[in-house]
Order: sequence, then structure tokens, then C-alpha cells
Amino acid sequence: MKRAALTPWLFLAPALIATCLLVLGPVLETLWLSLHDVVLFRPQVRPFVGLANYVTALHDHTFWDGLGRSFVWVGAAVGLQFALGLTAALLLNRQFWWRPVARALVVIPWALPSVIIGLVWTWMLDFNLGIINQVGVDLGLLSGPVPWLAQPSTAMAAVILAITWQGFPFFCVTLLAGLQAIPREHYEAAAIDGAGAVRSFRYVTLPGLMPVMSTALLLRMIWVANSLDLLLVMTGGGPGTSTETLPLYAFLTAWSGANYGYGSALAVLLTLLLLAVVIFYAVRSGK
Amino acid sequence: MKRRTLLTGAAALGVVAPLARPHAATPVKVRWWYHFDDPTASPAGLVQAFEKAHPGIKIEAEGIPWGGGSDYDTRLYTAIIAGNAPDTAMVKFQNQPRLMEMQALVPLDKWISAWAGKSDISDDLWRLTRAPDGKMYYLPLQYVVLYLYVRQDWFAKKNLPLPTNFENFLSGAEATTGDGHWGFGMRGGPGGHDHWGSLVLGNGAKLEKGGLITPKALAANRWFIDLYRVHHVFPPSAPNDGFVQTIANMKAGRTAMTIHHIGSANEMVKALGDAITAVPVPRGADGKGWTDFGDGSNAIFAQSKNQEAAWEWLAYLSSGEANVIFNKLSGQVTVTKSGGAHWDAEPKRFLDATVESLPLAHVLPPTPQTADFTRTVWPQTTQKALLGQVSPDDMMRTFEKLFYGD
Amino acid sequence: MKRLRLFLGTELPVLAILAFGLGPWLWMMLTSVRPTLELTHSPISIIPGSFTLVHYITLLRRTSFLYNLRDSLVVASGAVVLGLLLSLPAAYAFSRFRFPGRHVLRIQFLVVNMFPVVLLVLPLFILMRQLGLLDTYYALIMGHATFTLPFAIWLMTGYMDGLPTELDESAMVDGATRLQLLRLVILPLAAPGVVAVGLYLFIASWNEYLFALMLAGRHVRTVTVALQMFIGENTINWGLLTAGGTLVALPVVFLFLFAQKRLVSGLTGGAVKG
Repeated sequence: MKRAALTPWLFLAPALIATCLLVLGPVLETLWLSLHDVVLFRPQVRPFVGLANYVTALHDHTFWDGLGRSFVWVGAAVGLQFALGLTAALLLNRQFWWRPVARALVVIPWALPSVIIGLVWTWMLDFNLGIINQVGVDLGLLSGPVPWLAQPSTAMAAVILAITWQGFPFFCVTLLAGLQAIPREHYEAAAIDGAGAVRSFRYVTLPGLMPVMSTALLLRMIWVANSLDLLLVMTGGGPGTSTETLPLYAFLTAWSGANYGYGSALAVLLTLLLLAVVIFYAVRSGK
Repeated sequence: MKRRTLLTGAAALGVVAPLARPHAATPVKVRWWYHFDDPTASPAGLVQAFEKAHPGIKIEAEGIPWGGGSDYDTRLYTAIIAGNAPDTAMVKFQNQPRLMEMQALVPLDKWISAWAGKSDISDDLWRLTRAPDGKMYYLPLQYVVLYLYVRQDWFAKKNLPLPTNFENFLSGAEATTGDGHWGFGMRGGPGGHDHWGSLVLGNGAKLEKGGLITPKALAANRWFIDLYRVHHVFPPSAPNDGFVQTIANMKAGRTAMTIHHIGSANEMVKALGDAITAVPVPRGADGKGWTDFGDGSNAIFAQSKNQEAAWEWLAYLSSGEANVIFNKLSGQVTVTKSGGAHWDAEPKRFLDATVESLPLAHVLPPTPQTADFTRTVWPQTTQKALLGQVSPDDMMRTFEKLFYGD
Repeated sequence: MKRLRLFLGTELPVLAILAFGLGPWLWMMLTSVRPTLELTHSPISIIPGSFTLVHYITLLRRTSFLYNLRDSLVVASGAVVLGLLLSLPAAYAFSRFRFPGRHVLRIQFLVVNMFPVVLLVLPLFILMRQLGLLDTYYALIMGHATFTLPFAIWLMTGYMDGLPTELDESAMVDGATRLQLLRLVILPLAAPGVVAVGLYLFIASWNEYLFALMLAGRHVRTVTVALQMFIGENTINWGLLTAGGTLVALPVVFLFLFAQKRLVSGLTGGAVKG
């Protein structure tokens, strides 16, 4: 009995040790720093200020604005990536002769470094020399070139387009793998019961895909919420602050503004918010 | 105060950690960080020549990605905080206040005063390089001065004089705007403060306490914002344009003027030939103007155990022929008088414009806020003003507050 | 008729998705074979006016790109091996055991992952310096594990949760140990999941820039750092950047082209009914 209770811990031990060593320490360190007034270029003087950084954040307009933009950013980017990725996975699960090539090519956007993606999209969206404006005008879709990244009304959408492009293959591949775990008999049984394509998707595919799908969604949400390299390359948070999400604000505060303590506090707040979502997920899936 | 914390812990570590460096006979190693625009350029030739002349010293040169400046800085600060800084590295003025506060720099005065190459560098450069405390922490290595690129063919066709002051700058910009062309390629993204500086600090605003909110300063800034909002002489994409876009637009023949420096002269000439030239930035009614002094220096870090050897390397890089070779690799201008006398890396008219601009050259205030200003506060606030989200006057008040408090 | 339905219902939509997915990459490839001067021609000609391989030749001959590719391959492969070795047993424990603290522990893995990486890099730098691992493959492989491991564990658990438990039970009845069970029963069945997680681990490491910049650089330099070198203070070398960007995607494509043979249903009707 005692041995049996120990078994799962033995399986977990390697991952736990690695996490404690590599991540937990640095995270706790950052947590500790967030309670101090740390200025990056004054490493010797760093008074303890308790929760002052957190109080400042709650009264900081930029924090709340950044939070709002983060919601838009995460919601739109993850939603679009998921929709496109799921569609691609379902299609690439069907039989056709060039399927292996199609599956391999679809990972290309995911296989490129963010800085390249950011620069290429910036270039394609360029006002004067971008291919999108030129083709759009030539085909009559646009009445004139649009400064996509320079106006608040389109800048966020343009970066979301780029991150959707970058991220949909992740969903495609993970969901494609998930589809393999659904036994063929379930589809056959549904067909015998007279279920059409829509009903068999609803009653066989969706439930079978659920564990992977919800995990992938959760993981991607966290990843997108924290990701800032495309924003950094394409707009730097601008124009003005119209694409400045919360992690971008934390990053600029900690490094460019050299206010490392406050930046750490912003990062902790972001983590707490994401934690709430994860707990909500765990409670729902754990019942 | 709590003591067991990350940053101080790390500083202590730098002292305690065993030094893996072997003694005596083996040559002294000098770690040096650099960044070049051209990824195929390598300082290996310079290193080889130096090591041949100094058999006791080995140079470990490491190219660091520039990443808009922030990658280079992040890497440098992290290394210093963790006690792992290189012996010496290329640095910029805007970092000097922060590096001084970190007590990361070694004064170079004792070496400079005994250095034969001292008189080969102009007094202007020494003056600009001196730190606020009167000491020299940086050794000049390269420089550029920003000037105004002008499409002289368009100006000639319309019988316009090349801009010299703000009136004929505006009339020239308006005359060359239209039909998919714009008078001035404005850089509104990070780093564009140097464009703004020439058009606002050169036209009445001053970087001193209260100097950004005088009536004259506010008027100059309103005039600047009006260039975009009223006269429409910037491309609509100006708020997010970086140097990539402003230079590409100029090369593509979409803009009539922009501000940049000799580093891009050769590519401009390749694309436009004789159609392009350069003049100093416009001057105000008082004959004064403002242009950004683009600096590049070397510094030695206090953590270095090999400061003497590091100095030998820096002195070599900043002297005579070696400095000329270095600047042909880096695409900027030599700091030595002897090298400048036979400079031929770019067509002469661009070097002339650079030299004529020197009297207008300024640097941003040597305060810790400057790095935040150029990277975050300037672009965010200016973009908001260009988009009409804040007033031009509030924009100036934001800057005043950042630099000089309320 | 059936052929037409396949074409309209499957192949055509796949082509549309590929057009979107490959468009920017193909545009980058077209840019990489243009002479530099043509890049700023306005209006842009979609098909290059003249064709040149000069950027590729410069990239391979005059920069260290091939060595950087090698470093990236070593680091990403190491990250896959380390990630799978750690995440497979952990996922098995989460999926097949009910033990106190399971939920908390599982969430713990994600919490550490929610931290913006940019704020972890300074403490991690100091840690790697203490371990004497700066500028080695190990530093990057371990650094990349910090943010890939939690994802890998969760994703792997998701796949294992999808596998029916009847097989475990029958194997246990047959007297297999837990480790044998994991190796001989679960692993083959979870092969599609292993491929997906492995690909995730590989790509996450392959594309990573910040750690590669901070924790290595001189002796170990990955392609992401090398590509960043093409973006200078005053110029972007579009030719080298687009040539490098075109090439950097290819190893992943080939890897997945071969790995996807395992991306087929591990479940056979007989096994489940067994």
C-alpha cells in the first residue's frame, strides 16, 4: 500500500526536480524583487517597500489599459488560431494522395523565428512598399493604401493577423494527433445509428478530442498572453499605446525604464490573473 | 534592509567565484564586445594585426546583436549585474549615466593623458565625450552627424532652394508633396527623436529645465505636429515608421527629404545616383540648429582584471590607420584627423554635409532617463500627438516632466 | 464524381489554407532571390525582374550561418530528448494515478510557466554562471526546458487521458510492471502525441531567441541570434535576412515530413475490444 502511494511520485520526480532547480528559484526571486524598489542601474540600493508596487499598479491607468488590450489580444488571437487550426486538422485527417506533403508544409509558419515573422509582416503591410496595399489597390479591394500599423484602429488587428498566422499550425498538429486517439469504431457505430457528418462531429469527434483540445487551448492562451516579440517588432506597443499589452508594459518598465521592481510586480499580477483562469479550468475538468 | 537578495548576491559572487584564468606565461585575454551593421564584416584582420604587435595579449572579439539597442543593452547590463562583464565593449553616450550609476566604468584619464594618439582626435569629440563629473570614461571610436537628405533633382525642377531654414524647409516639403509623394520621411517609431530634435530643438525648444515648455518651445512643437496633421507632408504611416521605412521610402523615390547620416549614403547613391544630396538640417532665425551626434565609443569595465591590456586594444582601435579600417567595417566616420584627411568611403558631398553639421551637433542630456526617453517615452507620446490623442503642448510637458520633474 | 467531391470538399480548402500559410514565406523566398536594388522599386513587381543567388552564397560563405544551424540542431534535439524524458513519466503519473496534491502539482507546473520569460532571464543567467554552464549547449537546453517542460507535461497528459484504460488493466493483470507498461503499452499507443509534443519541443527551442542571446553567444550561437545580426543599427540586410529566414524553416519541414509516419492511429479495433 505504501509502495503504491509512492509510485506516482517516482514518475514525477525528474520533472519536479528540474522545475524546482530551473524555474521555481527564479520565479520566487522575481516575487521577492517585486516587494522592493529595484532600479536596474542602482543594484546596491534597493529598499523593501512591501506591497507598494502592487498598490501603484492598481492606480496605474496604463496597467488597466494594458490589461484590457491583453484581453482583446488573447481572445482574438487564440480564437482565430484555434478555428483555423481545427479546420486544418480535420481536413488533413482525411485521405488524399498529397496529404504527407500538405501536413509538412503547414508547419512552416510555426517553424520561423518571431523576429523574421514580425519583419516580413511589417514589410508586407508597409504603406508605401507593401505587397498587401499594392495588391489590394490593384484588385480594387482598397480605395487607397492603408497605413495598417500606424493607425490605432488597424494596428492591433494587423499584429493579431500575424500571430494567427504564426500560431495556427500548433493547433493543427496537436489536434491532428488528438484525432488519432478516437477509435474508428465510434464513427462506424455513429454511422450505423444514421448520424450524418455534423452529428458524428458533434457526438464523436468533439468529445474524443476534448482532453487535447482544452489543454491545447489553455496552453496557447498562456503562451499568447505572455508573448510580446511580434508586438515588439511590429509596433513596439504603438501607435501611442494602442498595442501595449500587459506583458509588454512590464517588459518596457523593467528593462527600458529600468524599474525592475515595478516591472516584476506587473509580471506577478499577470501571473495571478492567468492562474485564476487555470484554476477555473482545473475545477471544471476535475469534477 | 534584507541582504540575501539576487542582485547583491550576484555582486558578491563575482568576488567569491574561483577565477579560472591561468597565470603568467599564457597571454592575457581581453574580451571585447562589438556590433557592426554589416554581418559579413569581421574585425578579425584588426585583431590579427594587433596581436602580432602585442604578443602578450589575446583579443576575444564577440559580435552582439544590436536588436534596436535594447538587446545589446540587456545583455550588457545582465552581464555586469551577474559579474560576468567583458573587459571592454562598444558603448553609447545614452548609456553612460546608467553605467556610471552602476559603478561599472573605469576612468580612462590616466591612460589618455599619456597617449600619443590624443592629439589626433579633435577637441570637439573630446568635449562631447567627457562625462558630467569631468572624467573620461569613453574613448571615441566612430561618429556620425545627422544631416538632411534632399532630392536635389525635384527641388531643381520646381526651382526651389535646398532647405536652409524652417520656412524654406516647409515650402519645399509642401511643393514636393502630392501624387503619392511626400515632402519629408518622418521617423515616428523608436529612435525618431533625432528627427524631432532637429525640427523642434533646433527651432526654439531647449533641453534644460523649463526649456521644453517656453512659449517658443511649444510653438516649435505645434509647428512640428502641424507638418503631419495640417500640411500632410509626412506619409500617413509616419507614426510607426522606423529607419527601415524612412530610408526605403527615400530610395524608392516616395519622399523628397529625410534625416539620416553618412552610414546610408552609399546605398542612397546606388539607388538614386546624383539625384540625391545632403545638407545640414534647417536652422532657426537665430542661426542655431540642432542635430543629433551619433556616437560610438569603447569603455573599460571596472570588473576587468586586464585593464592595462584592454586599454592597449582600445588605443589601437582609435588610432590612425586602424581607426580608418574599423570605420570602413562599421560604416561610420573615423575619429582621427589623420584618417579624415584622406577619407574616401563615401562620395565627398556627404562627408562635407557631415563636417558642416558638426557645429550643430548635440547629444541628449546625460541622465539615466535618456534611454527610457528614446526607447519608450518619446515614441509613445509623439505618436499620440501625431494621432491627435494628446495635444502638442501636453507632449512637451510630458518630456519636461521626465527630464526635469515638475 | 467522387474525385470531384474530394477535390472540392478537401483538396481545395487545404490548398486555400496552404496559400495563407505559405504566402508570407513564399514572399520572403521571392525577396531572397532579388537583387538588393530591386527591393525598393515602387511599384513592386511580384515576379523578380532578375534572379540572383548572391544572398544565399554570401550567407553560406561569408557568415557563420551553417555553424549556427548546427548549434540550433544540437540545442533543439537536446531539448526534445530532455523534454520527452521528463514529461513522459510525469504525464503518465498525472494521467493514471489519483494521489493527494495531484491538481495542485499539475497547476504548479503551469504557474511557473505563466511568468513572462523576460523577467526570468536575469536570475537564470546568474544560476547558469554559478553552474559554470554559460555559453554551452547545456545552458540553452536547460534554459529551454524552463518554458517547454510544463507545456509538454500538460499536452502529454492530455493525450494519455484520451487513451482507454482497459489496456493498462489487462497488462497489469498479465503481471507487467508500471515501467514496462509505460514503455510497451502506453508509448506505442501515444505515438501521435509523442510526435506532436516532440515537434512542439523542437520548434519552441528552434525559434527561441532571448535565452539564446543571453545564455550563450560566442561558442554556441543559434540561428535566431545569427539572423538578428542581419538587423543592424542603421540598415537591415534584407537579402541575408530573407535567405536565412527561408532556409531556417526547412529542417522543421523535413523533420515533420518523416516524423508524421508515426502520426497515425495507434489504436486498433482489436486492441480496445481485447
